[in-house]
Amino acid sequence: MSERNESTLTRRSFIKWAGLSSAATVAGSGVNTPKLQASTTGSKKQKGSIQYAYSVCDMCMNKCGLIARVEDGIVKKLDPNPKFLKSRGMLCARGNAGIDRLYDPDRLKHPLLRVGKRGEGKWKQISWDEAYNLMAERFDKIAKKYTRCGVLFTPGSDMQSTFVHRFAEVFGSYNVTTHESNCLVSRNRAFLDTYGEVPFADLLNTNYVIMSGSNRFEALVTPDSTDLMTAKKRGCKIVVLDPRYTKTAALADEWFPIKPGTDMAFFLAVTHVIINENRFDAEYAKDKLFGLEELREHVQQYSPEWAEKECDISAKDIIRIARELSTAAPEAIIYPGRRSSDYTQSSQIRRSMAIVNALLGNWDRIGGLTATRQVGLSKPHLEEAPFYEDNPDDRVDVDRAPMMFEEEGSFKLIRDAVLEQKPYPVKGWFIYKFNPLQSAANRQKTIQMMAQMDFIVNVDITMSDTAYYSDLVLPSSSYLERTDPASGLQGSSACACVVTRDPVVKPLYESKPVFEILKTLSTKMDLGEYFDFTIEEYRKQQLKKLPNAEKILKEDGVYYNQSKLYGIYEGKIYKTKSKKIELMNTRYQEMGVDPMPVYHRPNMPKSNEFRIVVGRNAYFTHGSTSNYLHLNELMPENTLWMHPKSAAKLGIKEGDLVAVKSSVSEVELKVTFKFGIREDTVYMETGFGVLSKNLSTVQGKGACLVELLEDQSDALTGNMAMHETFVTVQRKGVV
Amino acid sequence: MNKQYAMVIDSSKCVDCKGCMVACKFENEVPLGFSRNWIKVEEPDFSDPDWMSKKPSSHFQPGGCMHCSSPTCVEACPTGATFRDETNGTIRVDEELCIGCSSCVDACPYGARYKKAEAKIVDKCDFCASRRENDQEPACVDTCLTKARTFGDINDKTSTVYQLLNSESIVTVKNQKTDTQPNMYYISKTAPMNWTKPAEIPTPYRIWSKAANPLVMAFTGLNSLAVLAMLGRQFLDRKNKVQKESSNKGV
Repeated sequence: MSERNESTLTRRSFIKWAGLSSAATVAGSGVNTPKLQASTTGSKKQKGSIQYAYSVCDMCMNKCGLIARVEDGIVKKLDPNPKFLKSRGMLCARGNAGIDRLYDPDRLKHPLLRVGKRGEGKWKQISWDEAYNLMAERFDKIAKKYTRCGVLFTPGSDMQSTFVHRFAEVFGSYNVTTHESNCLVSRNRAFLDTYGEVPFADLLNTNYVIMSGSNRFEALVTPDSTDLMTAKKRGCKIVVLDPRYTKTAALADEWFPIKPGTDMAFFLAVTHVIINENRFDAEYAKDKLFGLEELREHVQQYSPEWAEKECDISAKDIIRIARELSTAAPEAIIYPGRRSSDYTQSSQIRRSMAIVNALLGNWDRIGGLTATRQVGLSKPHLEEAPFYEDNPDDRVDVDRAPMMFEEEGSFKLIRDAVLEQKPYPVKGWFIYKFNPLQSAANRQKTIQMMAQMDFIVNVDITMSDTAYYSDLVLPSSSYLERTDPASGLQGSSACACVVTRDPVVKPLYESKPVFEILKTLSTKMDLGEYFDFTIEEYRKQQLKKLPNAEKILKEDGVYYNQSKLYGIYEGKIYKTKSKKIELMNTRYQEMGVDPMPVYHRPNMPKSNEFRIVVGRNAYFTHGSTSNYLHLNELMPENTLWMHPKSAAKLGIKEGDLVAVKSSVSEVELKVTFKFGIREDTVYMETGFGVLSKNLSTVQGKGACLVELLEDQSDALTGNMAMHETFVTVQRKGVV
Repeated sequence: MNKQYAMVIDSSKCVDCKGCMVACKFENEVPLGFSRNWIKVEEPDFSDPDWMSKKPSSHFQPGGCMHCSSPTCVEACPTGATFRDETNGTIRVDEELCIGCSSCVDACPYGARYKKAEAKIVDKCDFCASRRENDQEPACVDTCLTKARTFGDINDKTSTVYQLLNSESIVTVKNQKTDTQPNMYYISKTAPMNWTKPAEIPTPYRIWSKAANPLVMAFTGLNSLAVLAMLGRQFLDRKNKVQKESSNKGV
């Protein structure tokens, strides 16, 4: 064996390496690409040219910076970009498996036109030209017959989604919704209506965290997961309220298996203790908080003893935690969470969490909740969209919930409106990276919604369940194959930054980025003047006020301009009606909505029923990654989590096949025994029980969660409420 | 002084996200169904009726080949394919000499080795040799969400691993019957500790492994004929494969 000259690897030398690679640009572009010496590990592993290129992950929505290693034109490895400070130089399991997305054998390769019945899976390969002509003709026909709002747009949450919004605007439909109302709009509502903006949690610098309705160490591991661990190692206390013993619960200082849906009772009682024991900064409260006296009066009814009976957490613990929290304040946080698509009261539940934060005085302070910082991207000047006189006055989901976000609406309420054809028919649908047949409660209802559409176009990378029920399926290129606009990111104490993407490799098959699809379609529909730009031109305009950003993005893969982190609002008024943090919201009062959260006991399962709860893991982003070989391998199928005692009562043994039945449907899957779940609760993972026959890894495995879930919604925002479904479980036999 | 590469792990930081496992699989082209590394889990004692009141917690323990200083896998290898690289202390497999007999697989107390079915060779962690040549950290270390794993040369006093080893209390995971002197160190404490198995080493191989000359090995004992046959077959297979590849290129 020859002795190799190996230098000691330290973090510093690694970063130096990353700096060296910084000159790398697009593999194959011929620009400034250093050809690193091919590495050899023996005669059998001779490698050709190796190139490194920056990109940004797209396996979830967090856009973590990465470095792709390309060998002879093939992406071999994705590594974290250490200069992307937001994620502290990590790339999770999904991020690593981005290669599976690029080289997925199930990738869509050509435009496909449905020839059989919807969902029958019979397709004809057509040319892009035929696809464009068909789209132009069919959307035009729908616009003439039903107005332009007769086409619904679901742009996904992607760096090119902005162009789907743009196309909807110039085409003339205001019926646009993304995934957000299946996820987090009720959380956004609650914090916006308390602070005037949606805050970030400075987990890195905090000393006490209560995690309720969130699973930060496990669900879609994010930069916050990393910071929470750093804080924990420093001594930050973590308290988890969750009906399941999640990995976050497993690593917390304290875990309380709270009765699902009663979190508001806990937080109102914590408020009760903090106020009655005067455990808040009175001067701060006078200066910054609105409605303290009203809140004091309001929470008198919510004693810890009362809450104990509601939420199954002892009054003693509630009092202790309230005291510990206020002692740690302002470096203490009730984690705002992410997905809040849980209860019909979810906005008000999150309001009760926002209010405790307010009393902790943590807003805009180190170790507390921090305000948004703008990175300074410019909005490119685009031709003003045409006005269409025949359009209806409002979105199709108008007035179906009192406090929807106007630009977002609610998928659940849009679906109801489309099915009822009220106030007007919607007969066309343009879908980009959105898969409600896996992510929106009540799958059958989405199928019915699709059944009454005249024409559905679906741009995706694989034949998702929703693509499988569409009419025209178009292959989009992956994030490693395309040029994207710049995107401003915020999050954690790493400050705001800009990321972008350039192709790491050339697009495979006939795939195209959605921008190109919409640009060509706009030309076919005589709207070409509104798409008269390239992404490169668009990006240049976005970056025009950021000196050197273009150069730094090339060199580092990310652009940071450090700005003030805390005290942004010092000397400034808050963006709320009262100009203070609103413990009481008078706008709510005017609208007939409870101005302070009023506890209503959630519906409870009958003795023969279980509440089914929704959660996430570190491998699957809803239904979009469960078909990838390296992730599916980590969890090949989903099972029903059940407490052994509950199972025993029903004669169910571990591994048995069971029928799980709700008011809307029934599914079958195997049972896994979990001591770490409440006896009145069951759980299953998302991403299984697929309808599509073109997802070869996951097909035929497990059962579909949203098939079972009733489509209830948050009273204020129309956010899907996915923890309100009760199921019965019956043994079917041994597998 | 020669290098001794090692990993120092703070397993209390591990959240069981499996980032290290997926990163390793791509980096080292590990076939589906196998893994060069792992995360072991210690859960609360659910059989205790009072487990809920005892502040339950779990411990996640990342691991992989421990690149032992007293490796039973090397001892078990009949052909010398598995060897300790004296330049840096890593335990390596010379693919040209491996006959895929799997003796080393049984001899590893940690289950760190697997047989690549198609290639008929045994594969294991090499601390990402090809990445190290490019001055990069092993894939599992680089990708780790919480930076639970630290890699380096414990004989280099300036290295982070040296400093960790000499400033923190350290434990190793060892099998009671087979102490292989692992070079994977865990900071302060780790769990689970009881998942290893005693090394199984065929007796004749113990003798061979002491002999330096492969020819001597080959003529020792009855089993040697089988070993020779396997070695021969492996060479033939590889020769055929190489020829096949070159003829493909010609077309």
